[in-house]
Amino acid sequence: MPPAIHPVDLVQVLRHKQLTPAIVFLTSRRACDEAIEAFERRAPVIAPERTEAIRTFLADLSKQFPSIAQHPLLPTVQHFAVAAHHAGHLPSWKIAVEELMRKGYLDAVFATTTLAAGVDFPARTVVITQSSVRKTRDFTDLTIGEIQQLAGRGGRRGKDLVGFVVVTPSPYIDLDVIAKGLTGYPEPIDSQFVVSYPMVLNLLKAYPLDQIEGILAKSFAQFQLNQRAAVHQEHLDAIHVKLAAYGTRECADWITQWQLFDLAKKRTSQRRLPRQPDSPEVAARLPFLTPGRVVKTSKGRAIVLRHYASRGKRQPMVSLFLEKGAIIECPVSHVSQIYDKIVDIEPAPHFPWCTPHSFERLVEQWEHLTARLQTLPIVIDQEATEDQELVNTLAEDFPCPTCPSRQACRRDHPAALRLRQKAQQLTKTVQALKTGLWHRFQERADILHHLGYLTPTFQLTAEGEWARLIRIDHSLLISELIRMGAFDAIEPALLAAVLASIAHDDDRPGSYLRMSPGLATMMHRVRAVAESLEPYEEPPLLRSDVAALTERWVGMPELTWPQLIRMTAMAEGDVYRLLARTLEYLSQIHTLKATHPSLADTAKIAIATMQRDVLKELP
Amino acid sequence: MNETRSLSDQDLQTMLEALPLRRLHSLAKGRIPRHFRMGKRRLIVSLLGLQGEVRQYLAAEVTRHMAEQRTAIDAQQISRKRSLPAPATARHKIKSPSTATTARSGTPPTTIEAVLEGIGVPPPTEFRPDPWQLEAVSCLSTSDVIVSAPTGSGKTYVAVEAAKRAIQQDQTVIYTSPLKALSNTKYMEFSQIFGADRVGILTGDRRDNAQAPMLIMTTEILRNLLYDAASGEIDVRLNTLGLVILDESQYLADPERGVVWEETIIFCPAQARLLLLSASIGNPDEIAAWLRSIRPVPCHLIHHRERSVPLRACYLHPNGNLTPLFRTRDLVQGRGYAFHPETLKLFAEFEARTFGRSKR
Ligand SMILES: Nc1ncnc2c1ncn2[C@@H]1O[C@H](COP(=O)(O)OP(=O)(O)O)[C@@H](O)[C@H]1O
Repeated sequence: MPPAIHPVDLVQVLRHKQLTPAIVFLTSRRACDEAIEAFERRAPVIAPERTEAIRTFLADLSKQFPSIAQHPLLPTVQHFAVAAHHAGHLPSWKIAVEELMRKGYLDAVFATTTLAAGVDFPARTVVITQSSVRKTRDFTDLTIGEIQQLAGRGGRRGKDLVGFVVVTPSPYIDLDVIAKGLTGYPEPIDSQFVVSYPMVLNLLKAYPLDQIEGILAKSFAQFQLNQRAAVHQEHLDAIHVKLAAYGTRECADWITQWQLFDLAKKRTSQRRLPRQPDSPEVAARLPFLTPGRVVKTSKGRAIVLRHYASRGKRQPMVSLFLEKGAIIECPVSHVSQIYDKIVDIEPAPHFPWCTPHSFERLVEQWEHLTARLQTLPIVIDQEATEDQELVNTLAEDFPCPTCPSRQACRRDHPAALRLRQKAQQLTKTVQALKTGLWHRFQERADILHHLGYLTPTFQLTAEGEWARLIRIDHSLLISELIRMGAFDAIEPALLAAVLASIAHDDDRPGSYLRMSPGLATMMHRVRAVAESLEPYEEPPLLRSDVAALTERWVGMPELTWPQLIRMTAMAEGDVYRLLARTLEYLSQIHTLKATHPSLADTAKIAIATMQRDVLKELP
Repeated sequence: MNETRSLSDQDLQTMLEALPLRRLHSLAKGRIPRHFRMGKRRLIVSLLGLQGEVRQYLAAEVTRHMAEQRTAIDAQQISRKRSLPAPATARHKIKSPSTATTARSGTPPTTIEAVLEGIGVPPPTEFRPDPWQLEAVSCLSTSDVIVSAPTGSGKTYVAVEAAKRAIQQDQTVIYTSPLKALSNTKYMEFSQIFGADRVGILTGDRRDNAQAPMLIMTTEILRNLLYDAASGEIDVRLNTLGLVILDESQYLADPERGVVWEETIIFCPAQARLLLLSASIGNPDEIAAWLRSIRPVPCHLIHHRERSVPLRACYLHPNGNLTPLFRTRDLVQGRGYAFHPETLKLFAEFEARTFGRSKR
């Protein structure tokens, strides 16, 4: 949403109040470009000397970065002292704008918020026009950290006595979000550690297996998991104290005896068929699905309202509260993630399975769930046994009638059982938190063994030895393609094209360039391999148009940058990023000199051909 | 519950119409898909279309909100009409953004003149490093250092001074940034400070001046170097590595790339000092505690909260009218906020005009 005020008026007010230079943060690249276009239709207002100064400065800079000289925004910058700065531009242009800002030549720069982190220039004033940003599908409120990242650009040390944040509304702006961002303390940051295939290979190359768990334990992830585990452990200790208060009974495990006895009584009285044993996955999750637990399902995030056994299907079910306030029932097996988050809820025996007040609070608490929740790593016990048999025998042969503790046990067991179930859940949680990373590592290692990169004892195979050098996203797909000889005797242009389609993860629209027949066949094969690897690694987008574009750039060395850009609807900056990322992927292939000399050579040729024109401007 | 159950559609509609759009959106959140795309009218229609339980809870919430509004208005002794629904003229009086977070309403609100006072360029002064900058540099001789400071405070000074010291002792310095673009900017900047022959840059496909004592690279490249070193393919220069500077360390929290910062810190050679430079984050103490638990040397945390240049906030109405955003002139952290009354009035007008139009 563009701001309600016209960009030209905005800059005029800022100039009038001496609030320039300013960075105006807008939602989209398009909004930035349109803001600049709005100036083009006006009469210039800045002094001719300034226009001249900017012209000279840019002319100088374009000796180093020739691509600046042809930039279409050049006249606007010179005549209006405003510029746009976003990811659709070439790095050289962004450098030019940054330098102009540092030198104080510009009055305003229109930039996108998404780029705030990469904007390395300050101004006197920062203009904020929105309180949320688009992340994947939905709009999410800016975090305090993000707002301070934006506002922090206001007020230059040594150049300003005071800095300013100017908030100007666009539809849907929420002033409170911005006010909180300006006056609050930034959020704590959380580890985003993931165990990747290259990490597994490189760790196993460098360290013996028995040291790996210790190395993973050094991660910030484990440090934070331990802190969470410690909190649960405290609860657990408190419960153990309460349980100990029941004292010793005749038999050591009186709680289990009575639990089984109860279970058996219920089963026989209801004369129902014994349930199918739950799958280990379901059994492992069940203890965590208490009311208030936040989980992930195929329908997105949900809050557990209750869990129960369905009569017809005889499988464990949950009632879930979903985003739109809807309540659904689904089998436990549909729950794919359990988050380490329980919201307050007061269960009730009837729909909606919690008290009305509690339901209302649920809507509210839903809003306050953070965008990223920590998942609980669930340890799946493949050998979970079903104590069905035990139940059956016990029902006939219950030992307690003659026991002296019987009265006490009968009285205490419901409360004690509840405590013990809580304790079991906590024990599992603590265990999951402590060993989750290591389990994840083992899972990945098992897959690598299955694919032939590791021996059964987790040593690197000959394949693993070189595959560990591919330390980029989609490493599995690339190594598999190399192994099956898909790249044998390949043309440099084709190699670059395939890698480009693997590297490019942006779904902004491109063009409909035709691929060469060779590349088309190749892409067909790559897609098949990517699909076959889907259980282990998320397939890349594999866009044919970016492959075709890269094929042209490498295959036609006489092609100039402007010609290339005319072939696609992608923004210059995006094409640059595509090719830069492809270069990175190619250079990883180039490190395989020792084992794949001819492929490494091909990569080298592709790199050399690609690095021309604007791709040569920066190191 | 009984009261709300009997709330008629007509009543509910009147109440909803009296609410500011922002409030309607917050009511719609979680109840109506894609509500953020809707204008006021469609939102109300959709809200009225809710059935069953959801509608009951909605009605309850609206009633509660209206009651709160009433008491708030009473408390402020604004003797407006108290009966609900609010008449159209009173609509603007219902404050949409909250006002009551702080109790500073006793003092009169600031003025735009006060907020804009003092704009200008400070007289040139001799460069004198801040105490926290000196502290960071000196602590590096005995420990790792984490600096968390607002943008623009002068973290680069710390990096440059620390690098100078390390180079003097014939150590290698590695400086990493999260983006290739930032690496390039720093490469130019550091080449000017240290001399072009003493700074090198390593990217995936290029090594410029890789023998220089100060090397600039992205964090991914450093991570790769460290993996190679760990598996025996030692790049000789890692033996002389004395200082690793990780700029923009708040990237630790990046969903895709954060892991690379963790790997780099875990595998950073024991003899090298770590200098983590970060924008303001909420828990630098936790990061410091983590480093202490895994690194062979102590870790010193510098958590600098104050901005070097004071910041003030304004609200710019679409008609060009500039007002203070808050009641108080200077932005202070951690003490809540109260909007400036004039801004509240203008903003309510903006909302009414933007969303109310289709109604009348
Ligand atoms: N002690 C100081 N006194 C005056 N100006 C300083 C001081 N330290 C840094 N600066 C200036 O402050 C500006 C911002 O510094 P920079 O290092 O880029 O901030 P950061 O990296 O923290 O965002 C620079 O122009 C720098 O010259």
